Amino acid sequence: MADEKIKSPKIQATEQMKQLITEYYIDAKTTKLPEGSHKPICWITSGGPVEFLIAADVIPIYPENHGAMCGAARIAPGLAEVAEKMGFSRDLCSYARADIGGALTESGAIPGGLPKPDFLLCCNNICGTVVKWYEELARIFDVPMFLFDTPFIHVEKPEHATEYVRQQCLELVKFLEERTGSGFSLERFAEVAMLSVEAVDLWKGVLATAESRPSPFTCFDAFIHMAPIVTLRGTQKVVDYYKLLKKEMEDRVAQGVGAVHDEKYRLIWDNIPIWYEMRNLGNLFAENRACLVADTYTTAWAVDIRIEDPLTSMADAYTKVYLNISIDIMLEQLVELMERYEADGLVMHSNRSCKPYSLGQYDLSRAVAERTGKPSLIIEADMTDSRVYSEAQTRERVEAFIESL
Amino acid sequence: MASALETLMELRDDPYSRARAWKERTGGSVVGFFCCYAPEELLHAAGALPVRVTGENRTVSKAGAHLQSYCCSLARTALDMALTGDLDFLDGTVFVHTCDTMQRLSDIWRLNAGYPFHVDFALPVRFEGKLAAEYTRAELGLVRSKLAHALGQFDDDAIRESIRVYNRNRALLTELYDLRRADPGIMPCDQAVWVVASAALMDKAEHNEILEEILSDLRGASGRSDRIRLFGVGSVMDQWEFLGMLEDLGGTFADDDFCTGHRYFEGDVSEEGDPLDALTGRLMERGQCACKHTPDRERSARIVQRARACGARGAIFFQFKFCEPHGFDYPAIKKALDEAGFATLELEMEQGSVSIEQLRTRVEALLETIRG
Ligand code: SF4
Ligand code: SF4
Repeated sequence: MADEKIKSPKIQATEQMKQLITEYYIDAKTTKLPEGSHKPICWITSGGPVEFLIAADVIPIYPENHGAMCGAARIAPGLAEVAEKMGFSRDLCSYARADIGGALTESGAIPGGLPKPDFLLCCNNICGTVVKWYEELARIFDVPMFLFDTPFIHVEKPEHATEYVRQQCLELVKFLEERTGSGFSLERFAEVAMLSVEAVDLWKGVLATAESRPSPFTCFDAFIHMAPIVTLRGTQKVVDYYKLLKKEMEDRVAQGVGAVHDEKYRLIWDNIPIWYEMRNLGNLFAENRACLVADTYTTAWAVDIRIEDPLTSMADAYTKVYLNISIDIMLEQLVELMERYEADGLVMHSNRSCKPYSLGQYDLSRAVAERTGKPSLIIEADMTDSRVYSEAQTRERVEAFIESL
Repeated sequence: MASALETLMELRDDPYSRARAWKERTGGSVVGFFCCYAPEELLHAAGALPVRVTGENRTVSKAGAHLQSYCCSLARTALDMALTGDLDFLDGTVFVHTCDTMQRLSDIWRLNAGYPFHVDFALPVRFEGKLAAEYTRAELGLVRSKLAHALGQFDDDAIRESIRVYNRNRALLTELYDLRRADPGIMPCDQAVWVVASAALMDKAEHNEILEEILSDLRGASGRSDRIRLFGVGSVMDQWEFLGMLEDLGGTFADDDFCTGHRYFEGDVSEEGDPLDALTGRLMERGQCACKHTPDRERSARIVQRARACGARGAIFFQFKFCEPHGFDYPAIKKALDEAGFATLELEMEQGSVSIEQLRTRVEALLETIRG
């Protein structure tokens, strides 16, 4: 097999992205204001309303993003063991275990570990696990925690749920004013929200270029390039970055450059990446001429905010995210994704760390087959805990699946 | 004639027999629920019989096609019971928002179990403050209208009447626990915990009558127990063989924080004013579950205080394997108990594969440590 042929072309913007993220962490770790104080640091969940923090000039830190980095660097199991020794069961979410371990030992994927939080913002629109995890962080660091509580949507979202979340936006504003000691500017907030919308639109534009055949990138690329939209949306830098990335992808489409050599099969990925296996998996699919053109994970950051009424639309958008809706609503979105990207099948990562994402996949895979006639493959793994992963078995199953297409 | 307690103990071998008989006798609707935050009073007021489902010891046959093996056994075995037809007497189910697993189980249940109606009570997770209370009140109103739609209209007076029946039940169960705290020898803990669990499996008024009888026998009884008093921490406790073994080894739960135990009956509902306000009040104020966030009321402090109050010398954590909320709470609560001088033991189990022999050795070791 000629290795040269199957090598994917390198995405040029990757360097800028790396720089952006490195700068972000360096800034966060070295922020010092006069008189020995520092810019306040807030740890926030990946689905949290970061726009409020950016507007209040608070540095957001994402333990989940750091968890992914630790997973990719294959150091998550070691950190998790620290938490396990304290009594946290190995069956609990591995992001949480690694983060708790990292917090206690001041270590991780960035030197010295994450900068310590002054307070915590936990939004449970992704799971209930984060509530328990952040409660532990509040104990470890002895700092206040704000729970931004977004009621789960089973069939429909009642008016009082939106109102409950909208009112919490106002409480959050008060909370931030108390923490930062300065008034919250609604103009600044509208500005940030606008930048956030712009970045989200650009990100959606990037993802949409994968509708072309061949697709200019794979979801493995998207997993890497989503870092800025998760961590820094609401800033100009991120807008600039996604303009660049979008342009590069559009150029690829114009020139017919595909991420996978001689793309034959188009697949959709479901669930959080298997961070420590990304490269191997990427190669494995590429070798088999299969391109993972879209996924349910990176689209989760494509929330809509309306500038006319930012608070209500934010309350609405943050409550409706993919992991906060019932599986029949998920199914509609999944089918839409399959059709829009003309997918031949679905690859589901059954992630033992993440129950809200994984429980229901068996039903979803059957329902997708019924609705679209497309088959799915279910890979049993964990997003960062490689101790429960079998590479040989996965390889075998992926090859068999692609053969069956 | 069998005593009231004997009647109740027989039910343990066939927990749903009374619900089935009730349905046959009255022609009424039987509604399943999982969590002790379920609005039982509303179901009762609608003329239905609320029946609690908490899984059971079984090897799943059909649920494996819907729920991964890393899902807790409570969800897996309960779904299996539904899919194999063992809960065919149900007319509907009410799910309450608690943990991620329950939230997905609700979806899967709604799409596969095939009961005529399904209601989700999307409780907040934040259990403090005015906003959460207002939201809960609105959500209760929505649940009420959904129940009225499914089961027929019922008015405020009907809810008030149900609140009275339920308050009576809670008062009687509280008395039982008070008596046992004073003297755990009057009733072994496997029976006491079952007496509470059975309250959610039969008509409340009937349960009240049975309780009155049991209590009239117990008042003034003396057990002169020299058993080592322990405090139980966990969610659902349905391992009767384990509790029996604990008694045999010379230990007993003098009090607990199980949601099928003390947490089930804790806290009264006001009988004055708007009944939904009153129900909201109890939801927000009672002893909290690991699934709820109550920053100003740390669970561990409460547990330590209650363990002390019942004269416990140790605590046993009874954890469901794969349970996130309780798994996350464990280290902090254990630490608090350690610091307060209690010996602790964590037992992890899955319904259907509990090995009594293995548990015995560990419980023996705990009791040895306490005896010194
Ligand atoms: S991986 Fe899943 S369970 Fe863990 S924090 Fe993320 S959404 Fe929650
Ligand atoms: S709280 Fe724990 S035991 Fe109960 S359903 Fe959720 S995961 Fe299972």
